[in-house]
Amino acid sequence: MVSRSQEKSALARAKREVHKPSRATRLFITWRKLRKSVLAVIGFGIVLTVAVGSLLAPIIAPYDIQWSGASRRPPSMENFFGTDNRGRDMLSLVIYGARISLYVGLGAVLIEIFFGLTIGMIAGYFGGLIDEILMRISDVVLTLPQLMLLLLAVSMFRVRGLHVIVIVMGALGWPLMARVVRSEFLSLRETTYVEAAKSVGATSWRIIIRHILPNILSTIVVLATMDIPWYIFYEATLTFLGFGDPSSPSWGVLLQQGYLYTMSSWWIITFPGLALFLTSLGFNLFGDGLRNALDVKVRE
Amino acid sequence: MSKARAKCTVTHASEVFSMTLRTYVIRRLILIIPTFFLVSIIIFVLIHLAPGDPVRAMFVGRPVSPEVVDRIRHELGIDQPIYTQYLLWLGRLLRADFGYSYIYRRPVVDLVGERIPLTLELMLIANGVSLVVAVFLGVLAAVKQYSITDVLSSLAALIGYSIPNFWIALLAMAFLSVQLGIFPVSGVQTMGMKFASPFHALYDHLLHLVLPTSILVLGWTAYLFRIVRSAMLDVLMQDYIVTARAKGLRERIVIYKHALRNVMLPVVTYTGYSIGYLLAGAAVIEYIFSWPGLGQFWVSSAAQRDYPTLMGISVITALMVLVANLCTDVAYALVDPRIRYD
Repeated sequence: MVSRSQEKSALARAKREVHKPSRATRLFITWRKLRKSVLAVIGFGIVLTVAVGSLLAPIIAPYDIQWSGASRRPPSMENFFGTDNRGRDMLSLVIYGARISLYVGLGAVLIEIFFGLTIGMIAGYFGGLIDEILMRISDVVLTLPQLMLLLLAVSMFRVRGLHVIVIVMGALGWPLMARVVRSEFLSLRETTYVEAAKSVGATSWRIIIRHILPNILSTIVVLATMDIPWYIFYEATLTFLGFGDPSSPSWGVLLQQGYLYTMSSWWIITFPGLALFLTSLGFNLFGDGLRNALDVKVRE
Repeated sequence: MSKARAKCTVTHASEVFSMTLRTYVIRRLILIIPTFFLVSIIIFVLIHLAPGDPVRAMFVGRPVSPEVVDRIRHELGIDQPIYTQYLLWLGRLLRADFGYSYIYRRPVVDLVGERIPLTLELMLIANGVSLVVAVFLGVLAAVKQYSITDVLSSLAALIGYSIPNFWIALLAMAFLSVQLGIFPVSGVQTMGMKFASPFHALYDHLLHLVLPTSILVLGWTAYLFRIVRSAMLDVLMQDYIVTARAKGLRERIVIYKHALRNVMLPVVTYTGYSIGYLLAGAAVIEYIFSWPGLGQFWVSSAAQRDYPTLMGISVITALMVLVANLCTDVAYALVDPRIRYD
């Protein structure tokens, strides 16, 4: 068994030879590349706005979501986005809705990363029959209509809530991540630096965590960023179809409750939909930019 | 003499080709069996993921006597242990028994069968139109990369890609149908149109098609455009294109004859593989426009928690997707001789 310090010094020697920039430098390089693309910066700006808006919702929102005034009042100085059929302030609802969308996007993506990483690494590490079975399952889940599976799982729950949707979406979203992790894992396993680490006696776990994982990281980040708008969109779709908690200010719920009043009050469905559109545009632009900046080859 | 020999080798090669293709198709057909098995497990698990029993879930918020619940539980076999339930269900599926809807009081197969043509109509038209538009715009954008056309159409694609289709559907319905009265609000046909002249009825039906298909076209064109554009950019950099240009071929022939063929390959396969995704996208649009297709049926059965129907539709849809994927694979093998059969 070779000690950790010996391994470290061997790696340090290897590092000196290739002059790999430090983590901070790499981040800076990525940022510089990202900044070059106007669209990516716009996307980042939108994402940042949504994030800040949802974090500071209680401060920014002009009214509490419980507040109610005259119902269906058109946009005015008191209610910039007007009020909905229950007299609630649309602007405040949309701001609080951003919280839900962001929670949904991040929550589902984190679950997806967890499952994707675990399953992808198990498949890549063990190979053979386990690999075959896991990849067949991922194939099948990938080909089946996602929305159908979501409807299937969500509709049978007696509680209609956000957490159910997030967990189900994350748990169904892993196949692509697992495939990518597995294939990266397989190709990285053959690289010389992994061989070097192995030859100085690093354990499998150490190789996975210290040497392979950091190299898959950029792929995972890009894939995750590109999946966030999908989760936000699916949550809005499911809640729009009536599978959400009707008391929450989720944009899908707002659209569902507002669409009967579209004729007389256009603002009720216009603003939540616009928020949904801009958020997903922001994440798509940012994800595209990130993919180009990190030079990751994933699906178009 | 040499010509004859060349011809001989060609026939020989094509014979080998068709042999391997046949074994390939047979192997893919056999592979559908374990895949279908997996699909049935996934659907079964998803339905039974929720705690509590599905029959009680069916009647949430509706008064029902415990005897009725017990009877339905017994009829559906839910009083049995979970693995017995699965095996019983699988056995019924293998006998092509896809269940019985308690809401419609009819077999699920019949209900699905009635709805498939309408969904196919919507999807084929929307898919055809978006394929044509996306290929046209995608080629134009790739050939003149970074031009105004490219920037504008890429931007439009990004917007079309990010815009929630159901929101646009609601807006279009409100302003174009209700406010301006240009298009019918929903459904397949105006009431009483059955008795009108065939020409009039067809016109009426087409008018009903315009909004749902346009909204589907919007999203799919954006999706396909990105694929066409990037595939075209890839192909245009390849050596054979340089050769074609060097030979002095006209640019139009280089692009539409040499390059486009190789671009169409990934485009058609993407379309084939995204049948499931397309079906799901159409579901919400069908629901909004009350288009009585498969997607609308999914949503309404899920909303009513019609548990046997949900299981039945899911299996039938999954089978459709599997067959569509198989057809895509075979078509791909037929079109592209380079494909390896493994």
